[in-house]
Amino acid sequence: MLLRIVRSSFVNQKKAMAVMIVAVAVGTAIASSLISLSLDITSKVSKELRAFGANIKVEPRLQGIAEVAGQRRYLRSEDLLKIKTIFWRHNILGFVPFLYTIEPSTGHTVIGTWYRKSIKVPGEREPFVTGASEVMPWWQIKGRWPESENEVLLGRELSSRLNLRRGDRVELFGRDFRVSGILSTGSKEDDAFVLPLEVLQKLSGLNGKISEVYVSALTTPMDDFAYKDPEKMSPREYEKWYCTGYVTSIAKQIEEVMRGSRARPIWPVAETEGKVLKRLGLLIYLLSAVSVISAALGVSTTMIMSLLRRTRQVALMKAIGADRLNTVLIFLTEALIVGFLGGLTGYLLSLLISKYIGVEVFGTPLRQRAILFPLSLGASVLIAVLGAYLPIRKALAIRPALILKGE
Amino acid sequence: MSIIEVQSLRKDYSTAAALRGVDLVIEKGQWVSIIGPSGSGKTTLLNIIGGLDHPTDGKVFVKGTDINALSEDELSVFRRENIGFVFQQSHLIPYLDATENVMLAQYFHSLPDRKEAEEALKRVGLGHRLTHRPSQLSGGEQQRVCIARALINNPSILLADEPTGNLDRTNTRNVLELLRRLHQEEHFTVVMVTHDPYVTEWAERVIKMEDGRIITDESVSG
Ligand SMILES: Nc1ncnc2c1ncn2[C@@H]1O[C@H](COP(=O)(O)OP(=O)(O)O)[C@@H](O)[C@H]1O
Ligand SMILES: [Mg+2]
Repeated sequence: MLLRIVRSSFVNQKKAMAVMIVAVAVGTAIASSLISLSLDITSKVSKELRAFGANIKVEPRLQGIAEVAGQRRYLRSEDLLKIKTIFWRHNILGFVPFLYTIEPSTGHTVIGTWYRKSIKVPGEREPFVTGASEVMPWWQIKGRWPESENEVLLGRELSSRLNLRRGDRVELFGRDFRVSGILSTGSKEDDAFVLPLEVLQKLSGLNGKISEVYVSALTTPMDDFAYKDPEKMSPREYEKWYCTGYVTSIAKQIEEVMRGSRARPIWPVAETEGKVLKRLGLLIYLLSAVSVISAALGVSTTMIMSLLRRTRQVALMKAIGADRLNTVLIFLTEALIVGFLGGLTGYLLSLLISKYIGVEVFGTPLRQRAILFPLSLGASVLIAVLGAYLPIRKALAIRPALILKGE
Repeated sequence: MSIIEVQSLRKDYSTAAALRGVDLVIEKGQWVSIIGPSGSGKTTLLNIIGGLDHPTDGKVFVKGTDINALSEDELSVFRRENIGFVFQQSHLIPYLDATENVMLAQYFHSLPDRKEAEEALKRVGLGHRLTHRPSQLSGGEQQRVCIARALINNPSILLADEPTGNLDRTNTRNVLELLRRLHQEEHFTVVMVTHDPYVTEWAERVIKMEDGRIITDESVSG
């Protein structure tokens, strides 16, 4: 009977119902694609932000005596692979090892690194491609990265100082090299020779040794909890902290796999990123809330108008015994059906919208598609129930004696 | 045994008083007509007895219950258990057919039962109009649907506010004869408001109201 009543109010008020369904659909589509965007945006935007470089720097841990002895300490190449085995391995977008040496006869700095290195990660089918080309995309090479053991890259400043050009010959570590390209990075490499890491390790006798590693990781924005000192956390908190992708916890995990290392967030990068993401997230939630509320208002006004047309019927139902629950049920059922139909429509719309946002803004469709459906239904039901609140209050307030009196 | 007891009932509206002290006792099974000019407070009195309206002062006991003490939901329950309403304008839901309109009262009371609703319509002579919509029924037929609906849950009291107000003489008589038959079969109490002396001919007791007060109250042989 309830369904019969509700069905007939749909059949008899097609226009009002259509208006409500459209309001719900639009509100739902906007809210749910925004929210799915916000779930996705952390990775999308932080991927974009990763173009500004690494956010974690790994160095050898300082040990007092060794420093005093003036002995340099190194990290080990063989530990590099382990960075891709930590809990947050999938968030590691890339890492670049560096080895800094001084050419004994000339005193020039010679840096060993990876430019584009394909490595085999245990347990992964696809090789992992990493190196300066991935982590420091602003590196510019005029010419090419050394392809044979007697090619070397020359930093821009050093090249003008030494007046050396691409194709010229130069002697390093007592061996003959040909300059394969000029490198500009805006950093210390500009004033150095750059060689593939393994080549330099062999030449300098520092086999398997590296000076530092720059890691680029997708991270969860730092919140208040993230700033707590892990040393002082309860085991439960520590577990939570460890399993959240904060830049600090990822650094901690890297430290654990690289022997003798000290891994630290590069704060200016990590912090800016966190701030940008946090504000973006806030903005998105505000916008979703606004779209939900305005859709609910649309539903509310339409439903109140349709209620006004049905005042006598509601009064009559009350006179013949409808209690408050009956009254609420009629309008709530109506709202839920509107919500459901609107939600379905909104879901289809949000598929389009999120595809559009993804492609237009980030160049790839958004990833979080599966969540759109429950999100849409949730948003639409929320809109419908919020929207039905006032009409239901109004319906409950109808006094049959006043309405039915008409003589 | 009294089924309705009204004690010094007052109802004030901001503009005027609709009831100025009404005392009334109605016996179980009685057919009472309340007659009076328009504006004399008949509808107000009926609505208060039926729990649709609240008095400014005074008490109403229905079957021993002080209905002013009931909450809104308790009043709903009270109404659907004890009272059937028939209004002057046949208040039917326009998009439900005759049977469904009757079933609506069943739904609010307990469970809709199509068979029983159809039976009730047959008893008021509408066996051939079961699936007609209100707009497809004559005024007299509509009122008979209302009567079937009012009586479907076996109320002990039928409150009727000018039920024949929109009907011609023939239809008025048909509806009242029908009610008389049902009243004799089922012994519910009837309180019927009217301004038409003709309608009081079916009553066992006629109460005359004027200006919010009862001025005469006499039993007649029904
Ligand atoms: N909702 C209301 N607001 C103000 N005055 C009302 C209201 N309802 C009824 N009245 C007044 O109360 C008096 C009695 O009305 P009513 O009970 O409807 O009379 P009757 O049914 O005998 O015609 C009338 O004067 C009417 O104008
Ligand atoms: Mg009246």
